[in-house]
Amino acid sequence: MTTMTAAMPVRARDVLASEWIKLRSVRSTYLTLLVAAAAAVVVGYLVTHSDVTHWATMTRQQRAAFDPVSDSFSGLGLAQLAFGALGVLAICSEYTTGQIRTTFAAVPRRRSVLAAKAAVAGGVTLVAGELVALATFFTGQWALSARHLDVTIAHPGALRGVLAAGFYLAVMAWVGLGLGAIIRHTAGAITAMTAVVFLVPTIIHALPAPWNVSIGKYTLNLAAQQMIAQHPTPGYFAAAPSFLIVAAYAAAAIAAGASLITRRDA
Amino acid sequence: MIEVCELTKRYGTAVAVDELSFTVQPGQVTGFLGPNGAGKSTTMRVILGLDAPSSGQATVNGRPYQRLSRPLHQVGALLDAGAVHGGRTAHSHLLSIAASNGIGRRRVAKVLGTVGLEDVAAKRVRGFSLGMKQRLGIAAALLGDPPVLMFDEPVNGLDPEGIHWIRGLLKSLAAEGRTMFVSSHLMSEMALTADHLIVIGRGRLVADSPIAEFVEQNSRTDVLVRSPAGGQLAGLLTRRGATVTAQTDGGLAVTGLDAAKIGDVASAHAITLHELTTRHASLEEAFMDLTRDSVEYHADVTADTRKAA
Repeated sequence: MTTMTAAMPVRARDVLASEWIKLRSVRSTYLTLLVAAAAAVVVGYLVTHSDVTHWATMTRQQRAAFDPVSDSFSGLGLAQLAFGALGVLAICSEYTTGQIRTTFAAVPRRRSVLAAKAAVAGGVTLVAGELVALATFFTGQWALSARHLDVTIAHPGALRGVLAAGFYLAVMAWVGLGLGAIIRHTAGAITAMTAVVFLVPTIIHALPAPWNVSIGKYTLNLAAQQMIAQHPTPGYFAAAPSFLIVAAYAAAAIAAGASLITRRDA
Repeated sequence: MIEVCELTKRYGTAVAVDELSFTVQPGQVTGFLGPNGAGKSTTMRVILGLDAPSSGQATVNGRPYQRLSRPLHQVGALLDAGAVHGGRTAHSHLLSIAASNGIGRRRVAKVLGTVGLEDVAAKRVRGFSLGMKQRLGIAAALLGDPPVLMFDEPVNGLDPEGIHWIRGLLKSLAAEGRTMFVSSHLMSEMALTADHLIVIGRGRLVADSPIAEFVEQNSRTDVLVRSPAGGQLAGLLTRRGATVTAQTDGGLAVTGLDAAKIGDVASAHAITLHELTTRHASLEEAFMDLTRDSVEYHADVTADTRKAA
């Protein structure tokens, strides 16, 4: 019986190692990332290809509003759900199976567990998100190059847009993790996440002007669009404030999860 | 050592654990016995810091669980064998738990061997039988080589060979000086493995005694007597300190006097006896008697019969 080692506290590094093993030892991690990458690249290609085909028939306003960077990220709407699902599963798979009790018995400081999950899922999805964003960008620009509508990554604002798209995907994983910690049921958390990114914008879009914009600019995915866009839409925030709004969603979801996680019975 | 002190746990208006106090000593197997719904699992969850007590407290080795550093080195617990992510292999599952407390791969391999799962270590847990999952749960509990072990219904789902194995494991771990706290709803199982018994019913302590003492106190015996002069005999026996209960079939159930003395009394008064039988209530029956008033899901339970045992 190793009572000597018992004097040592649970180390952050150990909790991180544990969460890293958990994330890489289930198929769903690879599956969600693969689905996200495929959706982003394929939809991005289809949309850019379609714009190339229809360029000749587009109006002057449509051509003026054309944004080659945003256009290539048209598949982000699907990819964001897969990334969000990865975040949800990182915690809800434990609540659903009951394994969370084993986890909390091993690490009684529950916020350390959530922090380690946020760090590991965040790190993995940030790297994966940036890779998906780069692949999506280059595929889209390649399709647009048929009519010389493409931009290079060195074009002002292009790299920022690509990095922002990757960051947004990681934010979706954090939002998913936070909602998962709050709701503790996979289906419920995924429904809530879908409502945040799809239902809320739909409702806000239906609001009379100027409310649709003055409230809309604070919503997660409209702010994300401004963060990626080459030029901000009139009435909306520029890229930098939009970045802060997007980051605030991740922080708020994780903080809410952290405040509830210690108050409830496991 | 595990100490539970005036522990109460309420879920809304339902009281799961009611002012429960007991101590679990090292070096022996302590059976934690009670009917389903008696509050055994709740008590264990509170001990592990998973559920917050409504009042009172539980400590392990003198400290609340939340204040234990690297708790797997101090307490190993198996609560629910099914509570495992099915998509993970047995090895990855154990490795993820081990890593959180700084326990290495070699120890993971060792506990897989201890529970006999080394051949399926690379298989996904989804395909495991309940018995295999029980073994995996025990392996997880043993990871930190802890001095205190807590198993909730470890025999559930095991085949006869597995049951035999776990009995041996429990005894050998206790012989190493560990505190073994094992719950069950089966008296017969506890009679075979436990050295000490803590019995609860409806969240309250019903008995806390060494198994031998429990058996002696609770395996009630009585003597069944049949006689054509039953009424006369009952009076004579009662005068000698016996308690006589008339059976519906005309027999007398006598406690406080053994069969020989009853025979002597009958003979001295020339009373004919048709039957004189010593009856032993089994431990199982004793347990049922003890917890009868506290079984939560009685067929005929009503609000005002909810008396504490």
